[in-house]
Amino acid sequence: MTVLDKMTALDAPSAPAAEPAGPPPVRVKTFGLEGRSTAPISLVTAAVLLGLWWLAADLRLVSSLFLPHPAEVFHQFLVVARDGYAGAPLADHIGASLFRIGLAAALAIVTGIPLGLLMGLNRWAKGILDTPIEFYWPLPPLSYLPLMIIWLGIGETSKVTLLFLAMFAPICLAAQAGVRSLPVERTQAARALGATRVQLFRHIVLPSALPEILTGIRIALGVGWGTLVAAELIASTRGIGFLIMSAAQFLATDVVFVGIAIISVCAFAFAYAVRLAERVLVPWRGKG
Amino acid sequence: MLKIENATVWFEGRDRLVHALDRVNLDIAEGDFVVALGTSGCGKSTLLNAIAGFLPLSHGRITLDGRAIAGPGADRGVVFQKDTLMPWLDVADNVALGLRFAGLGARARRDRARELLALVGLADFAASFPYELSGGMRQRVGIARALATEPDILLMDEPFGALDSMTREQMQELLVKVWHRTGKRIFFITHSIEEALVLGTRIIVMSPRPGRIVARYETDFVRRFAAGATLKDIRLSDRFGPLREEIRDILHADRDEKEAAA
Repeated sequence: MTVLDKMTALDAPSAPAAEPAGPPPVRVKTFGLEGRSTAPISLVTAAVLLGLWWLAADLRLVSSLFLPHPAEVFHQFLVVARDGYAGAPLADHIGASLFRIGLAAALAIVTGIPLGLLMGLNRWAKGILDTPIEFYWPLPPLSYLPLMIIWLGIGETSKVTLLFLAMFAPICLAAQAGVRSLPVERTQAARALGATRVQLFRHIVLPSALPEILTGIRIALGVGWGTLVAAELIASTRGIGFLIMSAAQFLATDVVFVGIAIISVCAFAFAYAVRLAERVLVPWRGKG
Repeated sequence: MLKIENATVWFEGRDRLVHALDRVNLDIAEGDFVVALGTSGCGKSTLLNAIAGFLPLSHGRITLDGRAIAGPGADRGVVFQKDTLMPWLDVADNVALGLRFAGLGARARRDRARELLALVGLADFAASFPYELSGGMRQRVGIARALATEPDILLMDEPFGALDSMTREQMQELLVKVWHRTGKRIFFITHSIEEALVLGTRIIVMSPRPGRIVARYETDFVRRFAAGATLKDIRLSDRFGPLREEIRDILHADRDEKEAAA
């Protein structure tokens, strides 16, 4: 047998295929989520939870004082939407809360990003600002709420300041992390292309830190909504947090549920908006 | 003329000083393609970093056309082994980044980027983003970017080290074409003897601990390559094999000696 014969022999199929050659496609098993969508599972979970709530209320397993019926909550929402609550229309309550969170977030973004970047780049800035930030940010906002009232009064200032302080730290820390994650070679490449220090900052450092900064903003908004009720404990007459606290005093559990639902919808909308911003601003995130 | 005189570098290691570069002397003239060849730790990257201005020297000096090098600058284009394209910029903007730093207008930047992308064979990818390109294509963009500011010399730190061997050969051909057309001086680092022989007009062989030049060669393989000879022609030519083995012997003998001493 010649070499050529051997090769043809190898090339020929050894036996007729038992199975058709074609799909299904396979993939390498990995650890983790493998990038597959979890949305259907989440939607089913939500439906099941709602169903259980409905069932528990229908069967009167729990007193409606503790767990009002979903239909009752929805009805109460329509009532509050029509008549307002505690002397103000629902839109005013939502508007007041959105204004506070929006203003505090804007302030936190405008100050937190530059200070965080500066702390990531400059030893003195880091040394000086680290102390107050590391000291205050693990504190629960409720613990320094009284100070805010004593120092800043009971108006909007103390509420917005409380929210600002809660939201500032995550954004500032994220901006620092963004600078730290900057690859050395990237700055070297820019310097070898003739970048001045200002250009290096504007064209390289800032865009490199953007993914981390957007993550920080998302976390900050979550923390902001979490602090809202505390902020609106201070002599408020408007706001979703106020609405919840006020309803709780009258044991109006259904109104409490309405308030919680509104907060969760708003918080979800904010988080979704940041995700959209991420998709537009950093489409390259996590790739290459 | 790029002149390196007595370049010496000591690094502060964790518990001792490291002698990374020992009295290196090298001139790179107009049209030279100098390849630094050596095992890892032989100081070739240290030398490149010093020329680029990323690293000051402990002793000695480096001058480019009479000017002492004090820091990085657009007169020396650098191509890195690692991908250093900016992921938020499209290919054309990446290529034109240095021109943007230099204050050129948008139209001039676009025209120059188009020209350079044509040179590296990526004319159709101006609007793509780096994450959409293969490793070889990204390195081509890196070369185009380094050429955009019209540097006096191109410094390349193992630019094809991470590529597969087929892509690597394509890139070598492309680089020789670019070198031939632009007449740029090139300082190129590699640990591949064949790559050094195929690309360099001059080869410096370096040895570690301390990093120094142990042998110098002048070859004309790259000129034949530029004149149209194929890689295969060059590899099969009479002098290629013996020279490759000679350099291999130097590198191995050097390593054995160092290991025996250690």
